[in-house]
Amino acid sequence: MSAIVRTLSLGFAAAVAATAFGLSPSIAQGPPGMSRMDKTNAGASGQARTLRPHRTPPIAPKPDKIPLDKIKLPAGFKAEIYSHGHAGGRTMVRAPGGTIFMGSRAIGRVYAIVDKGGKREVKIIAKGLTHPNGIEFRNGSLYVFSIHRVYRYDIIEKNLDKPGKPVELTKAYNLPPEIHHNWKYVAFGPDGKMYVQVGANCNICEINNGIRGHIRRYNADGTGMEIVARGIRNTVGFDWHPETKELWFTDNGRDWAGNEGPEDELNRVAKNNEGAFYGFPYCHANGIADQNVKIPNACAGVTMPAALLGPHAAALGIKFYTGAMFPAAYRNVAFIARHGSWNRENKYGYDVVVARPQADGSAKIEPFLQGLLDNDGNKFYGRPSYVMQMPDGALLVSDETNGATYRISYSGAK
Amino acid sequence: MAERSGKYRSQGIFLAAALLVASSLQALAQVPPPVSAKLRERIEVCKTCHGADGNSQMEKIPSLAGQPEYFLLNQLVLMREGVRPVKEMAEFVKDLTDEDIQSLSAYFSKLVPILTGPKPDPALVAKGKPVAEKLLCVSCHGKKLEGVEQIPRLSGQRIDYMIAAMRAYRMDKRPGADTTMSAAIASASDGDLVALAHYAASR
Ligand code: HEC
Ligand code: HEC
Repeated sequence: MSAIVRTLSLGFAAAVAATAFGLSPSIAQGPPGMSRMDKTNAGASGQARTLRPHRTPPIAPKPDKIPLDKIKLPAGFKAEIYSHGHAGGRTMVRAPGGTIFMGSRAIGRVYAIVDKGGKREVKIIAKGLTHPNGIEFRNGSLYVFSIHRVYRYDIIEKNLDKPGKPVELTKAYNLPPEIHHNWKYVAFGPDGKMYVQVGANCNICEINNGIRGHIRRYNADGTGMEIVARGIRNTVGFDWHPETKELWFTDNGRDWAGNEGPEDELNRVAKNNEGAFYGFPYCHANGIADQNVKIPNACAGVTMPAALLGPHAAALGIKFYTGAMFPAAYRNVAFIARHGSWNRENKYGYDVVVARPQADGSAKIEPFLQGLLDNDGNKFYGRPSYVMQMPDGALLVSDETNGATYRISYSGAK
Repeated sequence: MAERSGKYRSQGIFLAAALLVASSLQALAQVPPPVSAKLRERIEVCKTCHGADGNSQMEKIPSLAGQPEYFLLNQLVLMREGVRPVKEMAEFVKDLTDEDIQSLSAYFSKLVPILTGPKPDPALVAKGKPVAEKLLCVSCHGKKLEGVEQIPRLSGQRIDYMIAAMRAYRMDKRPGADTTMSAAIASASDGDLVALAHYAASR
């Protein structure tokens, strides 16, 4: 109610200002940015008031400071540092020529990691972008999504030292320009379409599901937009099951509703269920009605998650494993990087887990890469962000705070 | 940077910077000087805008004294890379190495913060207090708003700068920032922002 009054009076002020300076009066819609309808009530959450997001070092630590020795894996698996020196590096795609491209958030860079006779060289191929987290590769071209800006770098692998001016596809994709929860995740699906995340521009608020809080897909050139799944707070990772070709995605639960949740979700878009509603902002996790945005029957018609991924865990990247290097038990299971909590008194996550799809469409979660969280000291050494399968079947895990990737290989019995 | 009347001011500032580079080397006395001559010279340039003691005497230019080292480091990297473009500064940060940035951040973080510019208005301080409590500024900026790691000191920062900064966050006009700050003040009115700045500066 008061929000409406405020919006009106702001609109009025803007209109007056616009006339005074001879600008177009269209800015009366109000400022861009965060939703004015956020209903967060941190004081009522009962959580410590000292909780705050963690820093991400803009200068990568030297290799001897990378906490490789902390990493613990199941028997037979081994971790080594694959690349380092890419501060804030997160998302990864591998091009056919062997270049690994890497997106980032605040630091605004896109990196290229090149293998030079067993040594990895890191180049910055673009910088000054706003949260260029969305990257994908197809037909010689690198796609970079920087909030609503979309760039395509053609024949890029041959021009890493001089990438040249990209083709800009921003107009065609026509994505919302708000920064919050819009550091993109993007990937081409088995149907050849570009799937794109659009988050909610708040912690907890009403959203128009036709505009945000969903996954959409396009033809590669930005035409033919369709919405694939709705009611999603912020997914920053998805992948397709290698056999069923169904889309699975992680979704980050809201903040300031207690230390224990609502838990992050692993969701599945079942065949014939495209466009399904996943609950945000009314219904979270396994059917928890929201405490701030209240409607009757909050969970009616909501597709429930395949699995819960833990309170404030910040589940980001997910990839199904199809390689031959790991034991057969890892075939067609998903590896999920959990970046780790900030809005929780006892830290949680900072690891990689395995999600095993079950016959009934759900999934079972098991630990995989551990040790970067010190439970006793309540502190962390690194933040796994994304996972990628290499041609030899090894798994690459990016660690945003250490500016490094770890190569996970298996040499035990099969 | 639409919020500021950038053009005229920045020309004047460039001139001032050029004139002052050579002159006031004695201001360095308080803190151990950084090693290289390049940095010593560069610090003098910084001070033409950010104040001889790191406390800015210029409207809407922030004080750097006593900011958390990590905050300065983070912002300087973002400025160098053009993620947070500051036109007036571009010339002076574009050639900085990571090590230069580390030294500059260590240097300015050790200077003593003193409130400069407009004085806090007691009525606005009183108005800002409950808003600051409701919006939990201390949860991120520290108990005394002294700043923590990547999060800046507000206590003793210039009021005019903080008002401009908060307006910019709310309009998505301060790129590179973690959006947690925009989220924190999304519900605040323009009047609230002014009161918050007076309150925060006075802590
Ligand atoms: C010509 C004037 C000028 C010079 C010279 C200058 N700055 Fe700045 N600086 C500014 C302005 C203006 C801003 C505020 C930009 C804004 O409003 O976002 C700023 C902001 C900053 C900030 C961000 C502080 C905050 O609280 O957000 C840092 C850090 C900084 N400058 C460091 C430096 C350093 C180090 C130097 C010397 C290498 C330097 N500046 C030289 C004008 C200058
Ligand atoms: C959830 C964490 C959080 C909360 C709560 C928060 N801030 Fe911030 N604030 C930040 C971060 C992070 C930055 C630095 C962002 C960047 O990199 O630009 C910041 C920056 C600022 C700045 C810019 C200062 C400068 O030197 O550039 C001001 C002013 C500010 N905050 C005021 C406030 C006030 C007033 C409140 C309470 C109403 C508040 N903040 C609450 C996280 C927070």
